[in-house]
Amino acid sequence: MKGLAKGLKYTLSNLTKQNVTTQYPDVPLQMPDRFRGIQKFYPEKCIVCNQCANICPTDCIQLTGKPHPDPGKKGKIIDTYDINFEICILCDLCTEVCPTEAIVMTNNFELAEYSRDELFKDLVWLDENDNNVRKENKA
Amino acid sequence: MVNDLLTSPAGWIHAAIFFGLGACLLMIVLGFVTYAILAERKVLGFMQLRPGPNRVGGRFGLLQTVADVLKLLIKEDTIPKAADKPLFILAPVLAFAPAFMVLAAIPFSNHLKFSDLSIGLLYYIAISGITTVGILMAGWASNNKYSLLGGMRSAAQMISYEIPLVISVVGVIMFSGSLNLTEIVEGQKTVAYMFLSPLGFIVFLISSIAELNRTPFDLPEAESELVAGYHVEYSGFRWAFFMLTEYVYLFAMAALTTVLFLGGWNPVPFLGCIPGIVWFALKFSLIVFFMIWVRGTMPRLRADQLMEFAWKVLLPVALLNIFVSAVVKELFLR
Amino acid sequence: MIRTEEMLLNVGPQHPSTHGVFRIVLKIDGETIVEANPVIGYLHRGTEKLAENLQYTQIIPYTDRMDYLAAMTNNYVICHAVETMMNIEIPERADYLRVLVMELGRVASHLVWFGTYLLDIGAMSPFLYAFREREAIIGFLNEISGARLTFNYMRIGGVKWDAPEGWIEKVRDFVPYMREQLAGYHDLVTGNEIFLNRVKGIGFYSKEEALDYSLSGANLRCTGIAWDLRKDEPYSLYDRFTFDVPAFDSGDAWARYQCRMAEIEESLKIIEQAVEQFPETGEVIAKVPKIIKPPKGEAFVRIESPRGEIGCYIASEGKKEPYRLKFRRPSFYNLQILPKLLVGENISNLITILGGIDIVLGEVDG
Repeated sequence: MKGLAKGLKYTLSNLTKQNVTTQYPDVPLQMPDRFRGIQKFYPEKCIVCNQCANICPTDCIQLTGKPHPDPGKKGKIIDTYDINFEICILCDLCTEVCPTEAIVMTNNFELAEYSRDELFKDLVWLDENDNNVRKENKA
Repeated sequence: MVNDLLTSPAGWIHAAIFFGLGACLLMIVLGFVTYAILAERKVLGFMQLRPGPNRVGGRFGLLQTVADVLKLLIKEDTIPKAADKPLFILAPVLAFAPAFMVLAAIPFSNHLKFSDLSIGLLYYIAISGITTVGILMAGWASNNKYSLLGGMRSAAQMISYEIPLVISVVGVIMFSGSLNLTEIVEGQKTVAYMFLSPLGFIVFLISSIAELNRTPFDLPEAESELVAGYHVEYSGFRWAFFMLTEYVYLFAMAALTTVLFLGGWNPVPFLGCIPGIVWFALKFSLIVFFMIWVRGTMPRLRADQLMEFAWKVLLPVALLNIFVSAVVKELFLR
Repeated sequence: MIRTEEMLLNVGPQHPSTHGVFRIVLKIDGETIVEANPVIGYLHRGTEKLAENLQYTQIIPYTDRMDYLAAMTNNYVICHAVETMMNIEIPERADYLRVLVMELGRVASHLVWFGTYLLDIGAMSPFLYAFREREAIIGFLNEISGARLTFNYMRIGGVKWDAPEGWIEKVRDFVPYMREQLAGYHDLVTGNEIFLNRVKGIGFYSKEEALDYSLSGANLRCTGIAWDLRKDEPYSLYDRFTFDVPAFDSGDAWARYQCRMAEIEESLKIIEQAVEQFPETGEVIAKVPKIIKPPKGEAFVRIESPRGEIGCYIASEGKKEPYRLKFRRPSFYNLQILPKLLVGENISNLITILGGIDIVLGEVDG
């Protein structure tokens, strides 16, 4: 009986304690700076080196480049850049290998959509996704 | 007023008045159920460091249960193909009807009562036994193995715990010399029976939790073992009826405990200025809170331990209580 | 004469207490189990096969998804295997960080077990209390690795990030807080007579049986064999810390409960010492070639995960990808004793026994 009484005392003492839950959808969740959320892409920084597409463990990045419009400059610039968030596991490897920090992680994590098609994010979308970028990657 | 009505000859007008009063009580009980569920969720929530329902009906979630019931009402009514259809439909009714019938016998205050049965206590216990049949029927008719197990457990449990429950009140009956619930309350004018037969009170409280199928005796619907027990195949409003049964019984059982052991509407000494109904409500809420509190703390017993506990611990203690009560009556209440 | 029939009861894969998608087909006589046939594989993702086409760095995020309650140990075992093959020396600071996150993960994992086990047995409050503390740990790991469960924190040769500012201090302050809460759990649960009745003597197996079934972790230590790789085959920095290996003799669910609760305390001791010894400065990743190519050959390493011995076998052809990768997944091995334990038990005990083994389906199915 002593154990039962102790347990009852413990729950009763918690009755008046402060709640520990957060009011998530009403109050946005603040994630730490390193949090790996949806990527932000800077098209102007990209040198089309293909490293992100190569390192991606799930092959969810697809990109194509085109020759630099200024004939005087060498190299390529980005043409299309798509991430398929149906299979992206947000492992952060793409941003780790990127030599110019053209792709970086943000703190945004809300990816729920009504249709699978909307999970297919293209260059324009990824470029516009520019809030909550990690401090170390701020442009 | 009610006392006059109860003693006056029968007639159509009286029948109509009683019908009206009965309907009022029904509404009050439904109101209680609505807020008992909310209170349970809130208290559990606070104990578990979370706010509980807080979205529908303002910060305190006052309309949460209403929304839940509304949702259950408009839900599709499904009956499994392999179920025994007539029994499946009958079971919730059979489980629910006695829950309301027992309320008729309970006096809430000196003036507020709906009957004055001389065998009120016996009536309560006899009628509440019918619910077991409803639950067993639900378990069987669903044609589901989990609900069958749940129904069987439930029948075994409720029958076993009815015995210590009844025997534990024998002490009270001896003190008051009556089965009439009003007279039992009147007998507690000076001292509540929980002090005269503490053993009986404890046995009654434990057995009543078991009768109500609440934690730690919630084996019939143990969600981690039997998924939901006897009502696993029920949905929508039929399911709501089982839930309603459970909470109406919570109401009835808490009221009965108040009447039998806590002195009903008798005030605590020196505070007689507060009306009886308030005292009743206070004592009643205390019992309900205790049940919620226990639910927030205890794990569940195992079926065989449950049976052992009823037959090997509660029953002997209840029998001992009869003896002790007789001694107490002989020594102090002459 | 009463004619009785055995009944076939299908538990899972969507049963609330099978901790995921585990299925057992039971033959029951009344409420007594006559025969139990576990069916696994509902969560099989072929991690080992997938790994054969992945570079070593790419495999790390996949290991996060095996034992998702203690992903840090999984991260460690693959890195440790590759480092062993390539003879990479790990910087001290990185090693301390690894130990810290692994032990935090162990505490978090045992907390989940504690909460869900009590939920299985029917008490709902301990679950929420345990998750309050787990949430704090998850917060720490989130801060250091950037994810709450799928950390992907370790790299071959070290760790991805150094600890953020103030992190070590926060972890240090967490230890006494956690001890206090642990005392609360003991008040709430450990002395509870109903709980004791539910677990004492349930799911008993002997030392020999435990060894025959190749059990490990708390499932082995509950029989009195104090076998813990952190002590017996120290890897990483575990030889620098003083801690005990809790072992209990009774071999039942109660011993397993005590074992895990004691392990939380031991982990806290390790965290405390690691924080104390934590080097002021230093690198967090060793110099490793950009493309990791372990030499031709094979290696097997094993470490102590919260659930038991997790092993990693790599056969390398000297290429970027492993020729064959194999994980010894402790949950899978520990689960094998279940059918034997269940025969003759009550259905209520099914949950107590299954919960006591502490499986994670992601790990069982691979």
